[in-house]
Amino acid sequence: MANGTVDREARKRQLAQARIIAPVRRELRTASWLSVAAGLVWPLQAALIAWVVSAWADGAGTPEQTLPAIGAFVVLGVVRAGMERFAGGILFRAADRTIAREREALIQREARNPSAMGSASIAAIAVQKLPLLQPWITRYHVAMTRVAVLPLALAALSFVVSWAAGLILLISGPLIPVFMALVGLAAEDASRRQMREISSMNDMLMERLSAMLDIRILGASARAARDFETRAESLREKIMAVLRVAFLSSTVLELFAALGVAMVAVFVGFSLLGELRFGTWGTPLTLREGLFLLLIAPEFFQPMRDLAAAWHDRAAGFAVVTELDALDAAERVPLVGGGTRTAPLEGELTVDLSGAVAALPGRDIALPDLRLTAGQSLALTGPSGVGKTTALAAIAGLVPLAAGRIAVCGKPLGDATADPWRARLSLVPQQPHFPDETLAHWLDPDGTGRDPWPALESAGAHGVIERLPDGLATRLGETGGGVSGGEARRLMIARAALDDSDLILADEPTADLDAETAGLIIEALRRLQRQGRTLIVATHDPALAEAMDRQTQMIDPAETGA
Amino acid sequence: MRQIVRILLFLVSAAPWAMARGATLSLVVLLMGAALLGLSGWFITASGLAGIAGIGIGFDFFRPSAGVRFLALGRAAARYGERLLTHDATLRALAKLRVWLLEQEATRDAWRLMRLRSEAVLTRIVADVDALDGIVLRLLLPGLAALVTHLAVFWTLGWLVGWPMAWAILAGYLPFGALILWQLGRRGLAPSETAEAEAQTLRRGLIDTIRDREALIVRGRIGAREDALLDIDRRAREAAKALDRAERDAGLLLTVLVTSVAGTALLVGGWLVGSSATGAAAAAIGVFVALALAEALQPLRRGFAELGRMAGAARRIGADIAPVARLRGPSATAGADTEADSIATGAPVLALRTSAIRLDLGSGEAAAITGPSGAGKTTLLLQIAKLLDTPLRDGEPAIAVLGRQPRDWDEAAFRDAVTLVPQRSALLRGTVRSNLALAANATENDMWAALDAVALRETVRARGGLDARLGEGGSGLSGGQSRRLTLARALLRRPRLLLLDEPTEGLDTVTAAQVLEGIRHALPNAAILAALHRGWGHSVFGHQRVLRLPPRT
Repeated sequence: MANGTVDREARKRQLAQARIIAPVRRELRTASWLSVAAGLVWPLQAALIAWVVSAWADGAGTPEQTLPAIGAFVVLGVVRAGMERFAGGILFRAADRTIAREREALIQREARNPSAMGSASIAAIAVQKLPLLQPWITRYHVAMTRVAVLPLALAALSFVVSWAAGLILLISGPLIPVFMALVGLAAEDASRRQMREISSMNDMLMERLSAMLDIRILGASARAARDFETRAESLREKIMAVLRVAFLSSTVLELFAALGVAMVAVFVGFSLLGELRFGTWGTPLTLREGLFLLLIAPEFFQPMRDLAAAWHDRAAGFAVVTELDALDAAERVPLVGGGTRTAPLEGELTVDLSGAVAALPGRDIALPDLRLTAGQSLALTGPSGVGKTTALAAIAGLVPLAAGRIAVCGKPLGDATADPWRARLSLVPQQPHFPDETLAHWLDPDGTGRDPWPALESAGAHGVIERLPDGLATRLGETGGGVSGGEARRLMIARAALDDSDLILADEPTADLDAETAGLIIEALRRLQRQGRTLIVATHDPALAEAMDRQTQMIDPAETGA
Repeated sequence: MRQIVRILLFLVSAAPWAMARGATLSLVVLLMGAALLGLSGWFITASGLAGIAGIGIGFDFFRPSAGVRFLALGRAAARYGERLLTHDATLRALAKLRVWLLEQEATRDAWRLMRLRSEAVLTRIVADVDALDGIVLRLLLPGLAALVTHLAVFWTLGWLVGWPMAWAILAGYLPFGALILWQLGRRGLAPSETAEAEAQTLRRGLIDTIRDREALIVRGRIGAREDALLDIDRRAREAAKALDRAERDAGLLLTVLVTSVAGTALLVGGWLVGSSATGAAAAAIGVFVALALAEALQPLRRGFAELGRMAGAARRIGADIAPVARLRGPSATAGADTEADSIATGAPVLALRTSAIRLDLGSGEAAAITGPSGAGKTTLLLQIAKLLDTPLRDGEPAIAVLGRQPRDWDEAAFRDAVTLVPQRSALLRGTVRSNLALAANATENDMWAALDAVALRETVRARGGLDARLGEGGSGLSGGQSRRLTLARALLRRPRLLLLDEPTEGLDTVTAAQVLEGIRHALPNAAILAALHRGWGHSVFGHQRVLRLPPRT
């Protein structure tokens, strides 16, 4: 069992690697080798410093004598900085391209083919989580290459100068991964827990803020603040307990690095003093060699410290890919047609359903047979959950059919006809949704510049606009704050009235409204029919159903079967 | 910038001791790092000189080599402590900031409080608070530590090596380092703010598009919408690219600066040694310390690159918590009044003198307001409940509670006297008990009595009693059950005036009648005013007590 889990984990990592890293492999390789090359400049600079300082000791270190070496040292430093900057640019572009590609795929799929995932979670993946791929792409691969090359190269250099110094590095180096693995396992788990604790602090704040109206009304503001403070304090203690473990792994690394460097320094010092007479290749260690060893020793450990930091980036990247995979695998509703603007379908308006069965993920819904011609109005009734909304969606080509057929204007509704057909209809959904734009733009998204007031008038919505402080320039935003449920419905009907659609599909336009307001809506819909529009409404409001020319009752197949 | 300073001062004063500890250890780490490299350089050069001179035996190698080991291990330990203490300080300060945010938001008017239910607003606030942790962790503490380290190193080098060396290093790092970072902050300001703002726009736009999908497809606008979203994404990435370039440029300049300062130290060292002002070993300290000081500079890069993001967050949070646009507090004339006075004058519990409604409501009486949606029922209730400012009518207060305008009441006293159950109430994650306890320190019996009054006793009992758990936003209860639980919560306040906005929404007729009866019974002496669009014929209200608000046109 455990083996299976491990295999699956490994397989998942491979797939994630193939999805995110493989397409930018070439850039990563270039950047990695540039970065390694930049790392190899340091020993040259170290040698120059060592030469200059030992020249002082020899009495040959006047500025005139050492100027060429110092000049070379600075030039090398500029070269190194330039290479690092260049490599950084390559890495940024690689990450940027990856994130843009993944985000584009999300944007172009999620609205066309909805899944069960909520819009807020999808937005969180697209906007907050995708950027977590960046550190994985820009840091992990480079750090891996550097670890593979630089410590060995520096240890070899040390070895050439003094086998003992090289040995010190070679012994303390490999110990690091061992201890890292021991502490790192705990730390990785700890850092995951930390993320959870921090996000639960944020959840707590969001919940308190969103309930603030109630809290204030209940006179509990002060109490709620104190309560939050106590819980934030206990959360802080938990987070600190986690961090104490999490920071251990990098501390172990640093401790080993510090010990390694200190041992090299002490060895070099004692050799120079003549206390130690071993560790070199015959000749005693010179001051220049000693300084060189001291300067390159810390750089021996640096790549390992970078890799330790990048390890978490990779884990975070994998977590993001897991979520992307889950989203890819989700069941989706395919769209009939392309959702683009085309010329309206030709011909007299008719809607004809015969034996149609709508295909939703996981279940099919039988639709009633019906026939409707221009200027008529029809109410689809039936208990909630029977599929009235699905029927409207199927007529609009938003849901494909599993069986039977829908004919519109005498032609079968399919990929070829769906877009031209949709150009003749408009939809009034049950849940009003107002995007973050002005009402003027929302009512007339194509910017035709026509006068919205007659349409607002016939939908009984002119009073709504007049009451809003900014009129048509109001942005209703996410929750439609500022208008009541009935007002929002009237605005949606006004929008349907404003475009020249022949057919209006309205989903429960009077649900949750008082009789008076519902009456206003019914009146508005009838007015639209008198103007020549065709109507199909899904409703369980008897008053609205009565007001339509015809009613078609939808029956739950489970009920009839019983 | 001023907002950053304001938030910074707040954060520091929120946890001064923790900040001081974190700052001290940050400084210790940098100083130990500089001392370690300096001492090592000196030790080796001095050993080399002693070896050359053949006085190796006489050289005191014990103390320097012990010093190197002490500094190496001590620095690693100090670094661990520094990371813990700076995170601790930041967590403490941000927790205080969150509490302060809650306290300030609690004084806002009803519209603002309702906006706080929008996910976009909440996400924005939370993201802003998170962005502010960089102010402490990546600007304040490392900045302070770097500055003090440079000054300390300056004095030490002046004393140990010679003032030319000290001046060369200070004059190299301080002005140029500050210049590079300042430039980075300036260049990154606009792009880092743009990147953040566009990301928020993209987030909202994506949610809008998915929620509005059917209408967009029917109108053939889905492609245009996707293109608009991709445009936003392009702008966000453009900004991120500009920011990255600024950061990489600064990185390059900082590396060049470190190299140049080290080169200068090599020149100055050679000159000092050549003129016999200093020994070679002491001069080596200067070179090694110059290299070590890079560590003080590089961490500041991230902080300055994020300056724009932090400035934006600081500005918005600063505006959120600024004490503006609150409802006015007690006016000077009303200061002398006490509750007892009002009652003695026989003022009704609620007196309304608006253009549409004249009403005096006494203890134990009830009235219903009806009218079509949008007529202003909710607004009127919010005004009575001191959650929206009340208009004056011909210089007379349109609303008086116990003889006094809501705005003249002290907040705590008013909340004790008046309770509102708004149309959309929120429950908190937790238990039934903890939700009820939000209202008052009630006994278990009181809680059951309140649940009884709203016909919820059996439901709660079936779910395991008062300790039954509720999910986020009270999920786990049906709409009607949540509604009744918020009504029960209001009953526990035992108010003198109870305001109900559509209390029977989502309840069937039988339960609705039962609940209204139960409320009346539980609070026999309270005045009750309810906004209703159905069920107003209920006997609780009596027919003469139904007031219609005409539709607003």
